[in-house]
Amino acid sequence: MSDFVEKLRAVVGDKGLITDEAGKRPYLTDWRDAYLGKALAVVRPASTEEVAGVVKLCAAEKVAVVPQGGNTGLVGGGIPLEDGREILLSLGRMNRILEIDEIGYSMTVEAGVILKTIQETAAAHDRLFPLSLAAEGSCTIGGNLSTNAGGVQVLHYGNTRHLVLGLEVVQPNGDIWNGLRALKKDNTGYDLRDLYLGAEGTLGIITRAVLKLWPKPKDVATAWIAVPSPQAAVDLLSGAHAASEDNVTSCELMGRQGIDLVLSHIPGAADPLAERHDWYVLLEWSSTRARREGANETGLREKMEGYLGEAMEQGLVLDAAIAQNETQARALWSLRENHTEASKKEGPSIKHDISVAVSEIPAFVTEGLAAMRKALPECRPVTFGHVGDGNLHFNCQAPVGWDKKRFGAHAPEISGAIYDLVVGYGGSISAEHGIGLMKVDELAHYRSTIELDAMRAIKRALDPQNLMNPGKIVRV
Amino acid sequence: MPDTVIAPVIPTVPVTPAVLESLRTIVGDKGLILDEQGMQPFVTDWRGSTVGTAAVVVRPANTGEVAKVVKLCFDNGIAIVPQGGNTGLMGGATPWPTHSGIVLSLGRMNCVLDVDPVGYSMTVEAGCVLQTLQETAASHDRFFPLSLGAQGSCMIGGNLSTNAGGVQVLRYGNARNLVMGLEVVLPNGDVWNGLRSLKKDNTGYDLKHLFMGAEGTLGIITKAVLKLWPAPKDTATAWLAIRDPQAAIEILSEAHAASEDNVGSCELMSRACTDMVLRHIPGTQDPLKADTPWFLLLEWTSSRPKADGAEGMSDKMEQFLADQLEAGRVLDAVIAQSEAQARNMWVIRESVAPASRAEGPGLSYDISVSISKIPAFIEQGIKASLDILPSIRPYPLGHIGDGNLHFSFMGPKGMDRETLKQYSPAITRAVNDLVTSMAGSISAEHGIGIDKIDELAHYRSKIELDTMRSLKRALDPKNIMNPGKILRL
Repeated sequence: MSDFVEKLRAVVGDKGLITDEAGKRPYLTDWRDAYLGKALAVVRPASTEEVAGVVKLCAAEKVAVVPQGGNTGLVGGGIPLEDGREILLSLGRMNRILEIDEIGYSMTVEAGVILKTIQETAAAHDRLFPLSLAAEGSCTIGGNLSTNAGGVQVLHYGNTRHLVLGLEVVQPNGDIWNGLRALKKDNTGYDLRDLYLGAEGTLGIITRAVLKLWPKPKDVATAWIAVPSPQAAVDLLSGAHAASEDNVTSCELMGRQGIDLVLSHIPGAADPLAERHDWYVLLEWSSTRARREGANETGLREKMEGYLGEAMEQGLVLDAAIAQNETQARALWSLRENHTEASKKEGPSIKHDISVAVSEIPAFVTEGLAAMRKALPECRPVTFGHVGDGNLHFNCQAPVGWDKKRFGAHAPEISGAIYDLVVGYGGSISAEHGIGLMKVDELAHYRSTIELDAMRAIKRALDPQNLMNPGKIVRV
Repeated sequence: MPDTVIAPVIPTVPVTPAVLESLRTIVGDKGLILDEQGMQPFVTDWRGSTVGTAAVVVRPANTGEVAKVVKLCFDNGIAIVPQGGNTGLMGGATPWPTHSGIVLSLGRMNCVLDVDPVGYSMTVEAGCVLQTLQETAASHDRFFPLSLGAQGSCMIGGNLSTNAGGVQVLRYGNARNLVMGLEVVLPNGDVWNGLRSLKKDNTGYDLKHLFMGAEGTLGIITKAVLKLWPAPKDTATAWLAIRDPQAAIEILSEAHAASEDNVGSCELMSRACTDMVLRHIPGTQDPLKADTPWFLLLEWTSSRPKADGAEGMSDKMEQFLADQLEAGRVLDAVIAQSEAQARNMWVIRESVAPASRAEGPGLSYDISVSISKIPAFIEQGIKASLDILPSIRPYPLGHIGDGNLHFSFMGPKGMDRETLKQYSPAITRAVNDLVTSMAGSISAEHGIGIDKIDELAHYRSKIELDTMRSLKRALDPKNIMNPGKILRL
């Protein structure tokens, strides 16, 4: 094997190779410490050609490749298996922004660019790249694309796959597919792009992308709203589309339990409202039309105020605070974004990233909470999510004082109950996080043989040696 | 069909009397068309330029029947050409002259199965006519945005299989962006139930997107869950005489903010194009008596009704057009004051295809480039074409916000179809070379079908073509599903 490592070194040089255990370690374990894999080496190519060289070598030597971006995934998709026969290929050194086309509203980037860098670069050109999620400071765009990441702006702009015009992909045999097209319309054969997006690196390695940009919002209104129930949240959103003239960009639902975790674990976090409520909505409207200061100005803030006033009369809103400046808006957002961090500090939890039709959310929450409590009466449900997408993080915090092992023993029962319910609602058992290693068996359990076989046929056709992130998504 | 196209190798297993009887058992007499005259419309494409053959036209009434028909064909190795409203422009739904199998028409599967106004979705069968779906959505105070010239006869299954475009792509996206779930009969007769009404679902490979735009070569779309939007409540439609295509891009760029992201459509038309429509389509009227070479049809729509006394879309647009006039981009403009006036503007845009048919032989290229390259493309493309045939008459038009032009030409006055055909390969090569040099697409919305199979092979990398072939072989190992379309295997 040392022979193989030397061949790798010939492709990527010393700078591109990590073989010592301590150096490899951060790449082999996931963000939540749920998985620990092994790898022959961590390989860090500096260019598409080097990626292709490494993959070609691996194809010849029949060594499997696990591609990894910022390693912030939640289902183990970027972690190698435990047999130690794979290499880990990190895209982290490919972190250049290659081109920005302001008029054409597009940006061409390498896969290893950190999401936040892309957001900031777009902003510096008076443009918006709308993908936004809690891990944005460390996740990389290649991983976002490979997992079709979601986040808090999906409602208005769509999932990651909707933010992409073109891709470059290194295929399992080392060929480079150049699909780097900056076109809004291109009906020339099968949609390869959408096949690679969301494939979690099992069909090839995304090395570059042409991303879409949007006009930068010039007028933003952000509100923290206490609502009586999830049904009220759905109704509030339904009316908000017209009231904002289709400018609703985020609508996040949160239960009180999650807020309590954030308030107790995140320094500086404060409750925006005086009284406690069971359910909250973080509502944001954005427009590209700038506010014009003056007495008659009816910017988004004024429109939102009017709308929330009406909603309060109808009983949809119990109390609300509209941010008066960006600092206040940031503070509201950090309450939402710190849910995952706060939950981690509190202790073990089980996460369910589910989606159902938006109109089914209220019924699902009621039944889901009952199912969770039935499975483990002491458990602490933490519910939050992107209500406008029908997507909830329907999580379960361990009872106070329970360790991972004791709580873990109940995980199959709790998750089984939730997933059965989701499937009963015609929903998805992984709305945005993907399948990775964690949900391979769940997917096999809930999906039809016909669908799994179609996926296997595609996998075998494009990766006949099964060397590209094997064992993830579907067993071949 | 271009003369240069040599028929690809496709399965030629005949439909035997025994198979025919099995088909009859599945779909009944109502579901079979056997006589030449009855089959004629199904084996001829809309433009009348491609004529194929089929042993029989099969018209199943439901997914179960489609599945049984496909299974029967799979077991016997018989080729299937799926067909919706037969309004395609690339011959994708027309059988090859060497075809010995069946045409499978989805036309009898035309039920709207469910409308969920709260969840903003609608579940439909593949044979529903697009206009019916638009009207059904409207009757529930919702909006299904797909809109194109053939909407009165095209079917949603065909729209999805070709990832149709149209005049609302700018705001709502192509057909593939309007879909949440699909049901597909696979080439072996299995039914894939992907009819999910979910906005988010990251559970493995995105099969849905693979079937959309595959032109029926990987399976037959039988049902779909479509996304709906709030119905527009305040619309402003204007007809603008503009300086040039560059001005169109600049106008659009500024319109986003001025309308608060409410630009619905932005259609560029050349003078030659509007004149052609006014000449051939009865009842159309020139909205402006402006003697300028370029026009723009601009529409803004909001789902918020105009409140009394408040500023509505028309007011905002009026202000905007005044600014644009001052900037010299707009030379003259009229905002429709009634629905009838707006309709007239739209009829001009939508009647281009029938008008071109009435005009006589012509050439048309459905291309896209990045938006900023549109003006250069128009200039260089016209020059390259006139260099080959100086008397050809260009009438470019297109969805400028999508970077998509219908780069079209009327044949020279008095030139017959056969003579024009002699120039067609050279002009096609020149136009598509230019598209490729600008990193564009040789088929922005119409697809590949039969007509562009060799063009695609010429311009696309072997790596990309091989990847497509691998997928085709994996999902349709017997090559019975619309064989010889998009790709040669």
